[in-house]
Amino acid sequence: MMICRTEVSKDRKARIKQITNHPYFGFFIITFLMLIVQLLRVAGVPVSNTLIRAFGITMIYIIIALGFSILLGYAGLASLGTAGFVGIGTYILGYFTKNLEASIFIVILVSILGAIVIGLIVGFISLRIEGMYLAIITLGLSEILNEVFKNAVSITNGTNGLGLDSQLIIFKNLIFVNHNTIFIFTAIIMFIMMILTLNLIKSPTGRALLAMRNSTSAAQAMGVSILKYRLMAFIVSTVYAMLGGVIYMSYISFSIPTTWSLAFSLNILAAVIVGGSQSIYGIVLGTFMIFGLNLGVFQQFDFFKENPAISVMFNGLLIILVIMFYPGGLIRLVTTSYYKLKKALAKLKMKWRNYRYGSDN
Amino acid sequence: MFDTTGFWKDIFIFILVLVVVYTLLKTFTLKYFKNKDRAKTVGLNIFLVLGILYLFYRIYRVIYDNFPDFATMFMMTNIINQTLQVSVLALATTGIVLIFKTSATTNFAQGMIATFGAFLSAKMIQYFTLNYTDMTVTTMVFLAMIGGAITAFLFGVFVDAVIIRNSKDKSPIGKQMITMGLVLVLAGAMPLIFGKILMPIPKMSYEPNIAFKLFGIDLFITVHAYYALIITVVLLVILFSMLRFTKWGLGVRATASNELVAGMMGVNTKVITSMSWAIAGLLGAVAAVMLTPNATNVTVALMTPTQVNAFMAAILGSFSSFLGPLVAAILIPVLTGLLSLVVPLWQNAVVYLIILAVVLVKPMGLFGKKIAKKV
Amino acid sequence: MVPIINQIYAKFLEKRINSAKTKIEFYDNYLPIKLQTLEDRYNRKVEIIKLKHKQKLLSLEIPAGVNSEYLKENYETELANLKDKFYWKERIIKASAQRKGEDGKEQIQELEKEKSIKANDIKNKYYPKPTSEAIKNYETNQPILNETLETKINKLQTSYQTKVDRFTNKSNKAVKRYQVININLSAKLHEITKDKIAKYSLEENVVLSLKSLSMHFGGLKAVDDLSFDVKEGEIFGLIGPNGAGKTTVFNCITRFYKPTLGDIYFKNIYGDVVYLNDKLVHNIIKEGIVRTFQNVEMVWELNVIDNLLVAAHTIYRSGFFGHLFNSRLLRQEEKVMRRKAMKILGDLGISSYQYAYPYGLPYGILKKIELARTLMANPKLIILDEPAAGLNDLETADLAKVIKKIRNEYNATIFLVEHDMGLVMEICDTVCAISFGKKLAIGSPKEIQNSKIVQEAYLGGE
Repeated sequence: MMICRTEVSKDRKARIKQITNHPYFGFFIITFLMLIVQLLRVAGVPVSNTLIRAFGITMIYIIIALGFSILLGYAGLASLGTAGFVGIGTYILGYFTKNLEASIFIVILVSILGAIVIGLIVGFISLRIEGMYLAIITLGLSEILNEVFKNAVSITNGTNGLGLDSQLIIFKNLIFVNHNTIFIFTAIIMFIMMILTLNLIKSPTGRALLAMRNSTSAAQAMGVSILKYRLMAFIVSTVYAMLGGVIYMSYISFSIPTTWSLAFSLNILAAVIVGGSQSIYGIVLGTFMIFGLNLGVFQQFDFFKENPAISVMFNGLLIILVIMFYPGGLIRLVTTSYYKLKKALAKLKMKWRNYRYGSDN
Repeated sequence: MFDTTGFWKDIFIFILVLVVVYTLLKTFTLKYFKNKDRAKTVGLNIFLVLGILYLFYRIYRVIYDNFPDFATMFMMTNIINQTLQVSVLALATTGIVLIFKTSATTNFAQGMIATFGAFLSAKMIQYFTLNYTDMTVTTMVFLAMIGGAITAFLFGVFVDAVIIRNSKDKSPIGKQMITMGLVLVLAGAMPLIFGKILMPIPKMSYEPNIAFKLFGIDLFITVHAYYALIITVVLLVILFSMLRFTKWGLGVRATASNELVAGMMGVNTKVITSMSWAIAGLLGAVAAVMLTPNATNVTVALMTPTQVNAFMAAILGSFSSFLGPLVAAILIPVLTGLLSLVVPLWQNAVVYLIILAVVLVKPMGLFGKKIAKKV
Repeated sequence: MVPIINQIYAKFLEKRINSAKTKIEFYDNYLPIKLQTLEDRYNRKVEIIKLKHKQKLLSLEIPAGVNSEYLKENYETELANLKDKFYWKERIIKASAQRKGEDGKEQIQELEKEKSIKANDIKNKYYPKPTSEAIKNYETNQPILNETLETKINKLQTSYQTKVDRFTNKSNKAVKRYQVININLSAKLHEITKDKIAKYSLEENVVLSLKSLSMHFGGLKAVDDLSFDVKEGEIFGLIGPNGAGKTTVFNCITRFYKPTLGDIYFKNIYGDVVYLNDKLVHNIIKEGIVRTFQNVEMVWELNVIDNLLVAAHTIYRSGFFGHLFNSRLLRQEEKVMRRKAMKILGDLGISSYQYAYPYGLPYGILKKIELARTLMANPKLIILDEPAAGLNDLETADLAKVIKKIRNEYNATIFLVEHDMGLVMEICDTVCAISFGKKLAIGSPKEIQNSKIVQEAYLGGE
């Protein structure tokens, strides 16, 4: 009876541990925390619209930043085309829904295919020589795309911006969507994207990318085709960005060229670098620091509303400082301080034990 | 504006023909050449030049179809109108290439440092207009330009000493991202420092346009563009002679080829890099001051298009040489100006696509050479 | 037109043959892993069933007063727990008494009393007075329980056995099927490429052959008209003074440089002769050539086992989407590869480092890890670039042993460049000396040692 009881409890503990130690568990918790804001509102707690919107946008940016982290943290490449790709995603949704009345699934398919094609062309041209060229060519692409967004009035409605009136088409029927529903869907997509990213970076592909980042010649000697893997990373980041654009458009229902400027790409870069480009939790942290804080907290104060430049400067300073002094990103700071805390707690526990039971000798 | 039917069709067909002819030549005649690599590059160059010439010719045809009497004049005027753009782009590109050679990174903050200088120039001009009312515009702008250039020079030294020198062990991409961070810092800091007042910089002179004859055609150039051209030429001549004949120039070349060895050979690489950053900042600031009258006011995003074009010029002309980017810096504004006649609003996109196409066939740029890396 | 179609068809066949070969290897390696997991699962299930059975018996045994082992065990554990609990209580009392300056004897005595009462309780709980009814109940039910246990275990065992048989059969069938496919396809391929085989041929025993290789950097002739053969299964050393072009030869073989002139032929893992000049850098490893680097090139973010897995990445059959969705095939392959990596680490005597991160490990260990990494790709030819550079004498001697072991156990030919003459003379079967890109002499280590030309090149003597 006694042994049986202990065995059962041990078994239960092991099972719980198996769940909490599962690599996806952390993502689940993050998604759940994001959803809490929405759930609170459903439960009747008055949560301000700006806060919910800030959470929603941050989740979309997390998706974009996840793609960027594969490019930056694993392939060791920097791109400045993110804004352009996200913009294309938003306009694809806008145009296909408004003018062609296509279903959202077709839109997602088209955006993924488009991302693959654009990523393939731009990546192939710029990655053959040196990784450094990618940033330049994508910078040019981003500027050109911005010009296209402004000039192609028939598709993008030019500088006035394209609005969607909260409409989406799912299976042929026009549906006026509730933003709260989209919020929940965004959270679920973010969860899935996190899982896919983790799978990819823990797989042989992720290892090959890391090998390439450490030394291209050693990676080549081990059979890693540099161009192929760099291209793959770039295309993956492009697909993530375009998907992010589609979700952004369905959540915000408005897209204007000025949003998709160089500053947006740089902010995504900042989020990935500041949080820690090789860790998914780092990216969540970084995105919250760069976007979430600004959208959710700073915008509540008049001082920051009047001087939006301050947060931009703050982001830039963070990039420089983190690259120069903390290459692992702030998530490393968090983990190291967590271990230090654990150690300190253990020490405290020991002291308490000695006090209560008397020292061992 | 113009009737452009058949323009794209012709260009597309010509490119197709070039590609087919090149592939046929490559497959059937390459075996007769002794040095195959050289034969390939020479062939490619010939076909590229043919393609670019055809593009110019086709644009000329479009103009000729619409204005048969003034076609040449129209084209020449258009090219001459780009003088200011060419000067600005040449300065900006040279700064970027200089930094690339000594610090092995592409400086994304070049435009922002330049804008910083331009802001200071604008401040100086405000001061002059209030306090020295009898000063002519030309002297005022010149003084302000010198002031802005010195500021950018010092700022370049500051950036190198504080940031770049302390991140030598970082990868080129890491340094690149540091400069991107610098872009954000400056973009955030400048509105705070200089406030939200409009900051105009006048043209260097408002005298009537200068008329001159080229190939028997009457042409005009604004005095501002004329001065800009002179300043650019003088600066570049000084810079290139410094690179060619002074110890500093030798040091730059040594550092470019191998920084470690240059350091061991007694070249003071610290001074070399910080001087390059300073000179790049100076060139950028001069370019920014010359460019501002086009936009009337100095804004944070003033130099962004120039910056992008300068990068494109550096890629098109190859980062490994100084002359290539300069040629590209002339080519890009001229092409943009001409294409704006044929495809208004889309000229930048078309030029970008052309550059991509050139880089596709010549990855090292028009004037680049492939260097064997040690493994 | 026909030759082109034939060529395409031959390439297609080659790919299929290669994939069949990798599949055979995969099934061979995956079978033991799968069997092991099946066995583990079976054992765990049996254990759980037995435990449950014992518990059922226990509820019968206690009232019947039967002294079984399990009852005693339970009783003793509960007593031990009680003792432990009271030990800590006692310590609390002692500590608080000490703080107050008292001795606290009374409290301890009270505690002892309580403890003895509780111990008695436990004893009564486990050893009550037996009743005749309970004994009868026990006697009738015990055999039934035992029987059910046996039937359950038998059932489990049969299901386990059928599973094992099924899986083994499946695996064997797959292996056989792929072997047949392999033979058929090879025959077809042979038919198609009958004429081509004559084009590239090497002598028997020869693995790698350099034919008048030249590499010029501008005016500098780093390698000049160099030719030699490397025989199968030997350790071949390339020596020469600094700047003799040894590393250039390496880089030409591994395609990091394009040689200016000359041909390189190689007999790959499948026994076909390939013209290496046509291959790309990252495809060399697929032919069976793996190289190391002068200064170890590790992936510092990954642990040692993952570092080995990087080199195996050409063997993986799962593609990008398999990786993205963590497919079943990928998980199976990961298991196979990890097992292989463990085995290699064990063979080289560094299995204790398997989960360590390479950062901060001693240089000798890193060199061995790099050697282990080359073995992950089933190499036929291992190229070592100055394996002994940076090692002390002890480590070098150890490395020599390891290199010999690799040659003997993994059927690999080894080709190395080295400055350490001791190492070269000790382990090499053939040594080639070059100077300024030209071959000076080739032969056994002794011949080279006694060769006058080589001595002159090294010492610069008259």
